[in-house]
Amino acid sequence: MFTFLEPLINGLLLGGLYAAIGIGLSMVFGIMRQVNLAHGELMILASYFSLIFVQLLGLPPLLTFLFVLPATFILGYLIQIFLFNRVLEKGMESYLMISFGLSIILQNAMLLIFTPDARTLKTGLVIKSLNVFDLFHVPVIYLVDCAAGFLVLGLIHLMMKKTYLGWAIRAASDNLTAARLMGINPKRVYALAMGMAVITAAISGVLVGMTFTFYPHSGTQYLIIAFGVVIIGGLGSLPGTFLGGLILGVSQLVGGRIIGPGFQLLSGYIILLIVLTIRPQGLLGRK
Amino acid sequence: MLMLEVRDLNLYYGGFQALIDITLHVERDQIVSILGSNGAGKSTLLKAISGLLKPSSGTIHYNGGRIDHLDPHEIVRLGLALVPEGRKIFSSLTVLENLLIGSYVPEARRTKDEQLENVFELFPRLRERKGQLGSTLSGGEQQMLAIGRALMSQPHLIVFDEISLGLSPVIVQHLYQAVNRIKEKGMVVVLVEQDVKRSLKTADFAYILQEGKISLKGNPRDFTDEEVKKAYFGL
Repeated sequence: MFTFLEPLINGLLLGGLYAAIGIGLSMVFGIMRQVNLAHGELMILASYFSLIFVQLLGLPPLLTFLFVLPATFILGYLIQIFLFNRVLEKGMESYLMISFGLSIILQNAMLLIFTPDARTLKTGLVIKSLNVFDLFHVPVIYLVDCAAGFLVLGLIHLMMKKTYLGWAIRAASDNLTAARLMGINPKRVYALAMGMAVITAAISGVLVGMTFTFYPHSGTQYLIIAFGVVIIGGLGSLPGTFLGGLILGVSQLVGGRIIGPGFQLLSGYIILLIVLTIRPQGLLGRK
Repeated sequence: MLMLEVRDLNLYYGGFQALIDITLHVERDQIVSILGSNGAGKSTLLKAISGLLKPSSGTIHYNGGRIDHLDPHEIVRLGLALVPEGRKIFSSLTVLENLLIGSYVPEARRTKDEQLENVFELFPRLRERKGQLGSTLSGGEQQMLAIGRALMSQPHLIVFDEISLGLSPVIVQHLYQAVNRIKEKGMVVVLVEQDVKRSLKTADFAYILQEGKISLKGNPRDFTDEEVKKAYFGL
């Protein structure tokens, strides 16, 4: 029985990170009813951006947030203003194409600038691990990842519940016409929401860079994880995203323990397919 | 001074002309009614006034300034609020959040607590239900919420689009009492209705629309039943 305790606990912790990965995708869908195919690339872009500061200034990766977060917020804001706002109210196809094009551009830009070499954001936290009652080991970085996941989702939740911007975002999502009559400018609110979604992508990107190695093409696998999280947990639901992350994390690690270490991803996808079959809108989904 | 002035307004909806040479005005301290049967153009007119639709020709002035080219979120900042047809409250927000988002415009945020109190005083039912989700309210309560929400933006002119639709006479009575109290507080009221009797009783001035044109206008107390019927249906 105890052999499953380690993948279970570690899966839950990793799930916190997965939730942080998924929340950006979930937000863009919940608010603007669009799927941002460049989400993974935006994450990895932040990883590389952090890498620059780690190598140039010798900063510990977590400190690079000081630079990475404002920069990625502005990037997200500008992307919405100059790219996506042009196709507001024009259906999903245009948005999908633009975001897909953006992902290709970003991927290739990163390939050109940073070369295809494997990278990692070096941190002592990766080597350390906690010995829990001699039963199993928990890498400290997983604890950091999970804590960050909690923090990100918690802050987003607070923002949505308690600030004018949060109410405006939710109102625009419920009924855009009525929201405009309240004085809400959709273009500006969407740009702010996108800025925030990209910040969450950046946070998870840096954490991913600290926890695993990354390449210019790593964006795709994390986009798939984000999809998994959102599909399992339910579109447009914040607690759903959290639940989805936990379930995906546990499915991967426990499945990997049962079937074999090479089958982690597959185990996650199997659970995803099961959820999609019995409850297509996701466990806590409503839209 | 005129609060609202619509001059020679024409609006095309696709290939169809929904508004034809509409000219009307609203003065301070007035309740103005805009009436007409379904499809006469009332909603289209309100959408043009609130900025949701742009006219093909003609002008709309509010408080002396031209607004026909502005976006809805800019117009509400000037003090013109619309209680939309079908209420359109935010179903995933609570009653309180619905009201608070009403004070979104920067000018209204400062006084939001005071305004909230005024709204709860006008509609005590909303205070009782303030933690509930908008979607759980009855039709009448949703209408109260939509009105309260519009009041939160501190408007000088407030347009009510068919507030009696689908509601029982008792509730409509209550709503119209609220409308009168709103007028007493100094706001200019424009009522758009299908319920002829009620709005003719309340209004100082009325316009009747028929197929996109104004077919009758004047003090409703001077209208005969014949005139009204003809203006409505054109028989």
